[in-house]
Amino acid sequence: MKRSMVFDVNGNKREVLVSPNQTLLDVLRNQLHLTGVKEGCGLGECGACTVLLDGDPVKSCLILAMEAEGKKILTIEGLAQGRDLHPLQKTFMEHHAFQCGFCTPAMILTAKALLDRNPEPSRREVTRLISGNLCRCTGYKDIIEAVMRAGDALRNKVNDDEHE
Amino acid sequence: MNMNNFHYIRKSPRRTDGELIVTGRARYTVDIDLPGMLYAKILKSPHAHARIRSINTGKAEELEGAKAVVTGRDIGNRRFSFIDTPAYPADQTPLAVDKVRFIGEGVAAVAAESEKAAEKALSLIEVDYEELPAVFDPEEAMKEGAPIIHEEITPNTTTAWEDFGIPRAKSRPYKAHHNISNRVFIEHGDIDKGFREADYVREDRFVIPSTAHAALEPHAAVADFQPTGKLDVWLSHMGFEHKRFWLAKLLGIPLSNVRIHKTYVGGAFGGKISLFAYEFLAAYLSMLTRRPVKTILTREEVFTTCPSARRMIVTLKTGVKKDGKITAQHVRIIDDVGAYRRSSPTALYLTHVFRNPIYDIPNIRHEGYGVYTNKIFTTAKRGHGLQQMIFAVESQLDMICDALELDRLEIRLKNLRKKGDVLPNGDTLRSYALPACLKTAAERIDWRRKTSHKKPNRGLGIGTASMFSGAHNFPFASAATVRLNHDGRVILYTGQTEFGIGVETVMAQIVAEVLRCPLKDIIVNAGDSEISPHDIGNWLSAGMFVSGEAVKRAAVDLKTQMLRYASEGLGIPDSDLEFENGWIISKSDDSRKCSFSDISRYGIQMAGGDPLIGKGFTKCVPEVYFWKGRYNKTASLTSGKGRFTEAYGLAAAMAEVEVDQETGKVRVIHLVVADDCGTPINIKSVEGQIVSQAVMGIGDVLFEEVRFEKGAVLNPNFLEYPIPTASDIPKIDSIIVDSYEPNGPFGAKEVGETSRAAAIAAVANAVCDAVGGRIFSLPFTTDRIKKALVAREKRKS
Repeated sequence: MKRSMVFDVNGNKREVLVSPNQTLLDVLRNQLHLTGVKEGCGLGECGACTVLLDGDPVKSCLILAMEAEGKKILTIEGLAQGRDLHPLQKTFMEHHAFQCGFCTPAMILTAKALLDRNPEPSRREVTRLISGNLCRCTGYKDIIEAVMRAGDALRNKVNDDEHE
Repeated sequence: MNMNNFHYIRKSPRRTDGELIVTGRARYTVDIDLPGMLYAKILKSPHAHARIRSINTGKAEELEGAKAVVTGRDIGNRRFSFIDTPAYPADQTPLAVDKVRFIGEGVAAVAAESEKAAEKALSLIEVDYEELPAVFDPEEAMKEGAPIIHEEITPNTTTAWEDFGIPRAKSRPYKAHHNISNRVFIEHGDIDKGFREADYVREDRFVIPSTAHAALEPHAAVADFQPTGKLDVWLSHMGFEHKRFWLAKLLGIPLSNVRIHKTYVGGAFGGKISLFAYEFLAAYLSMLTRRPVKTILTREEVFTTCPSARRMIVTLKTGVKKDGKITAQHVRIIDDVGAYRRSSPTALYLTHVFRNPIYDIPNIRHEGYGVYTNKIFTTAKRGHGLQQMIFAVESQLDMICDALELDRLEIRLKNLRKKGDVLPNGDTLRSYALPACLKTAAERIDWRRKTSHKKPNRGLGIGTASMFSGAHNFPFASAATVRLNHDGRVILYTGQTEFGIGVETVMAQIVAEVLRCPLKDIIVNAGDSEISPHDIGNWLSAGMFVSGEAVKRAAVDLKTQMLRYASEGLGIPDSDLEFENGWIISKSDDSRKCSFSDISRYGIQMAGGDPLIGKGFTKCVPEVYFWKGRYNKTASLTSGKGRFTEAYGLAAAMAEVEVDQETGKVRVIHLVVADDCGTPINIKSVEGQIVSQAVMGIGDVLFEEVRFEKGAVLNPNFLEYPIPTASDIPKIDSIIVDSYEPNGPFGAKEVGETSRAAAIAAVANAVCDAVGGRIFSLPFTTDRIKKALVAREKRKS
């Protein structure tokens, strides 16, 4: 039976009527109209539907919406602070780290989860952590570069804040 | 032209629409949501070859929520294809009418209130099939007594070529003998003489399987037929002209009633040029129900019902002199087209004409056969026909070097064509930096040192490639308009479609370069069939060379008009005026100037309301034309006569790999691609295209293959059909070898499509070098590599 649930999405409480077998992806895209979350395969193989659940990257096509209740959900729509883009969004633009852009929202969120945990990752760590997100266009080279540079930007920001 | 004098091109500005992408706001077809929208699903054949005795849709029609159910017989024989010529009329229908020819072919379609209801309705449709013997191997299909896949094919009332006015014989029914769907026979020189002159002749057979495009956005369409007769559509595509033509033709509505809206496209790679049955069905169901209809394919449906790349068997016989100079080459290709011909006549022609500019081979015979089999049909993918041919030619060149103890780099340099060469069909190589590409790549990978001091388990390989910059064929030309606004900013209207190439940014750069105004002052309206002038589309690598030139000419036209008003308004001769940073300034007195906005106001107030609109257009091969019985140099796909293109892009790749001699596992260590693309308009974009293609090439060599068993796709998902991940990427150097193409916009031409083919050959040759033996079939799985290693050991002992 459908049940009314409250989701914490991008800092907002959203009430949605959900069936027990509905995926989080379905609710985010089709009921909350957060179309920055993409479906590439529906089987958890491409990573295009990745969102952050309490900061952890999850493939939203593989988990039931009900499992997300009470957790903080972050989609690409909630990443920028108002008009201020997240450093990853900036470096992805600066380093041409997307072409068709379909995998980009998920790629950025996956990278955010990594940088939040470790703001100074090695190139190897970045490569390993984004290797669950498929990109058919870029050949990954510029994506890895953009993530590394976003790490620099985040560290400098932390340093700046400490100096202030 | 002074190449260092550019202000907005030969630089790497970021994508002007980048913020839409990184914030998730770019809208793809899958994201389109219209009020009252229905969802369509297609019932697919479980049989590879079967007659449809009857279809009972009664129960499906009665289902609550089902709004329309159609079968092939309802729609009838409305035939469509990529190629639809009098000799090769279209052979496919949106749904199977009398029989199904591959597993996955559509037999019925439903539009319903939800996807779930549509699926439920499909499950209620009863199809009575009579199974027929099927054939899956093209060489078996050509034999006497093989199952006949197509009975005589009756064309539509007119073929597409007749509709375009191409002067050829009237269309006629097509009868496939021995399941041969199409053929090509191109010859120049004297092949027998060429082989007689050779000191060494060898013949080899190469097999190239189908690989998937694997665009991340699944195929999708939204169609909204209006009561006014207008059809609005949103598609995941590569250029609207082809889609618009076929939708209008098959639906029987005027071309101008079809509007293809701009969407972002989540990857295409050549796979989304032709009309898809599901696109027609969405539109047809919308016409029936008078409601918007959306369809999104599942990933499995993309793999099993949308075509992957062409499967070819290439038999190559080559004669060379002792010094490695090629005297003759006889090519025989079997293209396993699957159930429908689609682009095979083009592909078989391209297997010759794409590679033609690389090596100067005086005597060539090039034969090819498209052969029907009971498998999913195939299509173009990033250099269509090129990589299949290049894999064969470059593999065999290395074998020739081994036999004659020749240097692998030298034999290539020795056989290259030269800048200025005129090809047998009349195409001229006005820009040709392939020798420089080879030399640059060799230096970067340290070819001479590494090949003379070979490390154990390591191997090096070379590949070359060339590619059109657009072709003579439909829709022949591109146009663009630019409009000056009251605020001094400029709107560009172009039919170019964004699917990952950054086309809006590079086109804006061209306009900014001509008008010398900031990039942010150019607003690009791209890819909407209703507001853009006609456009060749983003395939056959035509985007920059053809449409980019049209955009440049439009900007030049506007500039000329603006200059006249500036001269009149300021009272300064136009020879004393220059454009700079959004101003028109006197060269002799820089205090005398006017802004673009001033010019707009001058047009309105002083020149009778002149809106200041610039128009530009160009045709890929101007020499080719036809109109009401007058025609010149139209190319023949079958005989390879006539003009093909105006400029060729070229590339050389070199790879270093390491092969584990126990497990057969390959590690690509370094891949260098040097690409002669003319002037790079956006350097980072160009490098992005090169890397993109090179990485796809690694997947092609090492693991990508759409596998079949009795006509069924065995691996229709990313778990069983892996594509390269970030962990598979070696050190990659993309080198731009900047030749100047005199006929391209600011010297630009094709980029990227050559890189995949060159990378495939380079990586394949490097693996064979490390293995010490030849592998003739792609992909080079660890099993195949291990077999080659075992064979090498046997030869040693």
